[in-house]
Amino acid sequence: SKMHFIFSNEVVLLFDFWNVHSPAGMALSVLVVLFLAVLYESIKVGKAKLLHQAVVSVSVLSSQQLTEETDQDSSASDSAPVSRARLRWFLCHFGQSLIHVVQVVIGYFMMLAVMSYNTWIFFGVILGSAVGYYLAYPLLSMV
Amino acid sequence: VDHSHHTGTSHMADNSTTAPPHHHHHPTTSAHHSHGGGMDGMMMSMTFYFGFKNVELLFSGLVINTAGEMAGAFVAVFLLAMFYEGLKIARESLLRKSQVSIRYNSMPVPGPNGTILMETHKTVGQQMLSFPHLLQTVLHIIQVVISYFLMLIFMTYNGYLCIAVAAGAGTGYFLFSWKKAVVVDITEHCH
Repeated sequence: SKMHFIFSNEVVLLFDFWNVHSPAGMALSVLVVLFLAVLYESIKVGKAKLLHQAVVSVSVLSSQQLTEETDQDSSASDSAPVSRARLRWFLCHFGQSLIHVVQVVIGYFMMLAVMSYNTWIFFGVILGSAVGYYLAYPLLSMV
Repeated sequence: VDHSHHTGTSHMADNSTTAPPHHHHHPTTSAHHSHGGGMDGMMMSMTFYFGFKNVELLFSGLVINTAGEMAGAFVAVFLLAMFYEGLKIARESLLRKSQVSIRYNSMPVPGPNGTILMETHKTVGQQMLSFPHLLQTVLHIIQVVISYFLMLIFMTYNGYLCIAVAAGAGTGYFLFSWKKAVVVDITEHCH
């Protein structure tokens, strides 16, 4: 079927209840998708930074425990600190996976929003991606 | 069921396509999955719905009609999304492994006062016709195709299938990234 971008104040976005008929509703919807796009770009950066922090903190934790154990010259009590580090690593990673699910879902939502072929919504997604990238990506190189 | 109005496989009459596809002529039918878009004859849903009757999945002939078939489709989509995440991570580690080979080229270069200096060029990467690069290319194509399939599955707006995509992606990321993270930890922090 023929589909093309149109300027319209009417759209149904993603869910049945998200039914827009007015300019005010459209403006609000554009702001929402804009925010979603900013969030998407931020999550991408946030995930990378979290992974870096987790790797650094857990390796620091393990090396600290290692030096403690060699200083104390004890071998009986080294199971608890190691399992603590492992648990912390597991929680970090589980949290990362949840964030990944959110990222995947938001990415698909943005794709479906653009698929509405409403030009205002499309502008909102593009502008939000630009703003999100602009604000978030410099944080990647910051330690 | 009349499939002649399925998007992309037919050319609809002009007067029925000029109206925006999201115009709701029947607001009360929004609860029914087969007419979610509300457009005349348009079979594609434009909002999320939960249902397992008459759900067409990617290919003609692949139609879900029962709860059992939907369960099977859920599992298949879940595994596909998991495989996609695994493929991404496998490609990353393959790339890192094949780039371990570093080439050093040293060449003599005239320096000040007539001395000869050795200039060393370091090249990291793959050759075009090497097996790792060809393998990466094949895997890339597979990855692109699967990513488009997952997009098209999500585009059915079927709630069960979308949840399968998201859950499969999360599980795949969790399982395969776990392994990757351990490898990264060992290789990047030399104790």
